Amino acid sequence: MRRIILTSLTAALVVGLALAPLAGAQQAPPTWKQGQPPSMADSTLAPIAQPPAPKAPGEIPVDKIKVPPGFKASLWAHGINNARVMTWGDKGTLFVSSRVAGNVYAVVDKGGQREVKTIAKGLNLPNGVAFKDGTLYIAEVSRITKMAGIEDKLDNPPTMEVVYDILPRDLPHGWKYLAFGPDGKLYFNIGAPCNICMPPDTHANISRVNADGTGFEYVARGIRNSVGFDWHPVTKELYFTTHGRDWLGDDVPSDRFDVAPKKGLHFGYPYCHQGDILDPEFGKGHSCSEFTPPLLKTGPHVAGNGVHFYTGSMFPPEYKNRAFLAQRGSWNRTQKVGFRVMMVTLGTGGAPKYEVFAEGWLQGDQVWGRPVYTQEMKDGSLLIADDYAGAIYRVAYQP
Amino acid sequence: MNPPGTRKSWVGTFAGVLGFAVTLMAGIPDAAPAADPEAGRRKAEACGACHGTDGNSTLPGTPSLAGQPVFFTHWQLIKFRDGRRKDPQMSPFAQNLSDTDMADLAAYYQAKRPRPRPAATDPARVAAGKRLAELHHCTSCHRPGLIGQEQAARLAGQDYDYLLRLLRGFKAKTASDLDGTMTIAAQPLGDEEIVSLVHYIASLAAEP
Repeated sequence: MRRIILTSLTAALVVGLALAPLAGAQQAPPTWKQGQPPSMADSTLAPIAQPPAPKAPGEIPVDKIKVPPGFKASLWAHGINNARVMTWGDKGTLFVSSRVAGNVYAVVDKGGQREVKTIAKGLNLPNGVAFKDGTLYIAEVSRITKMAGIEDKLDNPPTMEVVYDILPRDLPHGWKYLAFGPDGKLYFNIGAPCNICMPPDTHANISRVNADGTGFEYVARGIRNSVGFDWHPVTKELYFTTHGRDWLGDDVPSDRFDVAPKKGLHFGYPYCHQGDILDPEFGKGHSCSEFTPPLLKTGPHVAGNGVHFYTGSMFPPEYKNRAFLAQRGSWNRTQKVGFRVMMVTLGTGGAPKYEVFAEGWLQGDQVWGRPVYTQEMKDGSLLIADDYAGAIYRVAYQP
Repeated sequence: MNPPGTRKSWVGTFAGVLGFAVTLMAGIPDAAPAADPEAGRRKAEACGACHGTDGNSTLPGTPSLAGQPVFFTHWQLIKFRDGRRKDPQMSPFAQNLSDTDMADLAAYYQAKRPRPRPAATDPARVAAGKRLAELHHCTSCHRPGLIGQEQAARLAGQDYDYLLRLLRGFKAKTASDLDGTMTIAAQPLGDEEIVSLVHYIASLAAEP
């Protein structure tokens, strides 16, 4: 009996000793710092803080936005704290999401003036908004909800009904882009809950459900975090941007612009970055040839968010079916890059043509705005949301 | 897979959150004017009873606001107003604040000098807490000396009881967190470690 007690005590002691070092061990850093190698421990790079209030029009130097000859950028709406994704209602309401501000807005055009109403607040990073058949769909971190008939009730919004809520609750990369595909299904991302880690099987993907919340399935895997996608107007294939991992250096890895012509492809994360760089830790034993390479390397740390294929008729004919990529801009890079809207021309036979459409939010090392999503107006002009200034710009072609 | 009927109980929860609509007119040039600390001083008169006229509270459990970064104070007020952060005393105050009020108040408090809050700290706890602060990367966001920056709070000069309540709240996942960083950071902490950390923070000079 005594012997048994002693054995138990020994076991307890061994367990205790095994656990003791954990209590005094270095803990995981904040998510933005995770994956930083010891060689970069002295880096002063850190994410750009999100201002708590939108800028007043007088503080928004819209004349600094540079667009191609014949185009003109103007301030279309302001006072929209943390303005992110834009989606149109059937009756001409522009619904605008936010992230840390926790709001969803409705912007109504009133004879040349834009009226901004907050239709939901206190939500959990409600980045995703999509509209179909009179109903607004909102994606927060762990659920998708809907407001039926919202456009008739902007001053007294209906309750949010749950569409789907069996989603991870992780906040890092937990905010979602949300869009209806050509198949009528709701597509959204489930990001990796970290900068770099072996994500659970449930994370690092683009997924979809039916509009009634049934039929969940994974569409594409190995995606660190995609918060922007669209479908090609002709081929109907899914195109998406992905933010690359941080702390591998100023010039690697590149962010990506990808196409997923079929379900089930793996795009490399966390094993392989930008299609040709194995991760120093998770790449061991793998080859980049196992994974789908990027359609386009969009540049290191540019933070590609919104994707929008142009289908309007205002811009010159060569703009038809071009993809606009809104790049919110870097933090994990000594010299800032991004802070611009790029355009991609596909189907030219060779590599996609990749060029600047709008820039100027970065002046020297100073950031005054961060273009994050684009949306087309009925007249074919292009809206650009800026979540840093809390504003929406309109780019028109008027040669 | 998810029959909508099973979600009914959920809907009522949000009715309160949505019973409003804020309207801002675009085109009004002073929709978000530059913050005015002097206006903030006047607006802060109602706050002084608890937070101190200069933002240095003397009530145990009530935070000092002096020297808090503008972004921190403004974001917290937004969260009190929209219900993400809840407090029986603060929540009603925040309901009537405009965006301009919040900006003015935040500017006023940032300009005030923080004074130390009295706390009986135990040297052994302080030493353990100092080590824990290093292991848990507190200065990554709160800066050396824990003086705060941007949306990350100034901790130096803060009240013991308030710090303890907040850190325990983050551990319990009940404290409001702008982006999850603090909730994640608090998860590995045991309660003894939380107490030691708070002893250490409460021992810091209000101004390094």
